[in-house]
Amino acid sequence: MFSNLEFFLVEALRSFRRGALMTVVAIGTITVALVIFGFFLLLVVNLSNIVGTFSSKMDIAAYVESDISLANAGVLQLKLSKIPGVLKVDFISKTEAWRNLKQEFGTSLNLGEIIVGNPLPHTFNITVRTPELLSSVAKQVAGFQNIDEVRYSGKLIDQIQSLVSAVRIGGAALVILISFATLLIVVNTIRLTVLARETDISIMKLVGATNTFVKWPFIIEGILIGVIGGFLSFVILKLSYDTIISRISAALPFLPVVTNQTLLTGVYIVMILGGTALGMLGAYISVTRILKAEV
Amino acid sequence: MIELINVTKTYANGVDVLLNVNLHIGKEEFIFIVGPSGAGKTSLMKLLYREERPTVGQVIVDRVNVVELNADQIPYLRRNIGVVFQDYKLLPKRTVFENVAFALRVTGAPRSTIRRKAMQSLELVGMLRRANAFPEQLSGGEKQRACIARAIVNNPPILLADEPTGNLDPTTSWDIIQLLDKINRRHTTVLVATHNKNIVDDMKRRVVALESGRVVRDQQLGGYNV
Ligand SMILES: Nc1ncnc2c1ncn2[C@@H]1O[C@H](COP(=O)(O)OP(=O)(O)O)[C@@H](O)[C@H]1O
Ligand SMILES: [Mg+2]
Repeated sequence: MFSNLEFFLVEALRSFRRGALMTVVAIGTITVALVIFGFFLLLVVNLSNIVGTFSSKMDIAAYVESDISLANAGVLQLKLSKIPGVLKVDFISKTEAWRNLKQEFGTSLNLGEIIVGNPLPHTFNITVRTPELLSSVAKQVAGFQNIDEVRYSGKLIDQIQSLVSAVRIGGAALVILISFATLLIVVNTIRLTVLARETDISIMKLVGATNTFVKWPFIIEGILIGVIGGFLSFVILKLSYDTIISRISAALPFLPVVTNQTLLTGVYIVMILGGTALGMLGAYISVTRILKAEV
Repeated sequence: MIELINVTKTYANGVDVLLNVNLHIGKEEFIFIVGPSGAGKTSLMKLLYREERPTVGQVIVDRVNVVELNADQIPYLRRNIGVVFQDYKLLPKRTVFENVAFALRVTGAPRSTIRRKAMQSLELVGMLRRANAFPEQLSGGEKQRACIARAIVNNPPILLADEPTGNLDPTTSWDIIQLLDKINRRHTTVLVATHNKNIVDDMKRRVVALESGRVVRDQQLGGYNV
């Protein structure tokens, strides 16, 4: 194999150039398929990010009876943090809460002049490990002594929960489906380039070439087609994504779109590697099928 | 070297192209397979390098029953049988040199060996001068020589030539047959399928005559007709 590597490369490049039209068609097909694939991948990544951002903001507010001593509040905080599924419990004293609130209103409105005293209760802010745990933890918290009232946005959380799973499952299914469709298209396009050389293949076999020997140049050609297609789709997708994202951020600044370069680079690497794999697999399947029909 | 035992070949369309053929060919023999067009000459040769399998019977080449070879082994059989095809089967987009070199390349030979052996082979058939020509630029005789060069480049113990003088004028035909004879004298078993009467009569070699797939004559030092 290794002694033939140079020959295989030369053969692949030769066939690549000679079948110029077919090559362009194959590269175009892979590019279009990968752009669609990448588009959905980015869509799924973004939806999941939006949903994730919202659900990570979910926590429980537990209001404490006003006459509790700070010592008892400390004991209660410890007990609450021992509930299974609880990540952390923050104690916000009524004084602190009142100060925060007044600060939020700032100079525009002097709350201290309108309201006499401090109307706010002590509050525990309870963060749970996963959003599904919210309702069960909230129920347990409500059962504790000295807890006045427990609040969390239950309905919204449930809806977001089902959206999360829908996006993840649907997205995964879509990505798998598109991968298959892409492979099918690529196999059939590369099949044309292989078919165009069927006579050559039969002559090679008649003078004693093994199937492996015949396959390699095609597989290398497939990889080449795949790498180029992958790279083109990366360029197209990156340019469009950056444009679209800057527009969306301008119009809807609160929407947490993905701009994390590491994550995006990951997606783009998947595209280029995916293109390579598709080209290689497509060529392998096509040439293997044709060789099966040969003697 | 070659043995056909009770060989019958029936194509899918039901025609018996070979019927109960028995044939023994010794090492380094030179043998003509003669018979009218459609007699089964090409089919007989295809059985030897496993382009076809017999419907019934055994085909032994160099002590190996080629009927039982699996797909992975066939390439190695073919490297030991040089074939000069009736329709040349030269790769059209490659030069004569590349065509000859290709038969070596498939064996995984190193580059320097490929070059040396291909040149030797081209020299033997008198085609060194035309090494860089493409098949379409060659005359019939030159194509035939290029094919022979490719067929013998691996030094196969067996050489099959299917109608090697089919489209050639008498002088060129004679040159080609002399070349095949020269190869035979270099210890290669040579089978020539032909319906060229003059050549068979002049060469006075063993003749196997086929008619409608049957061996009707097997004669040492024979002529085209009885
Ligand atoms: N692949 C095939 N399928 C069906 N019939 C074939 C096939 N190849 C050859 N034949 C038939 O078999 C007979 C013998 O053919 P062939 O061996 O080529 O004879 P020859 O070489 O002596 O002219 C012919 O009648 C031909 O039409
Ligand atoms: Mg014939």
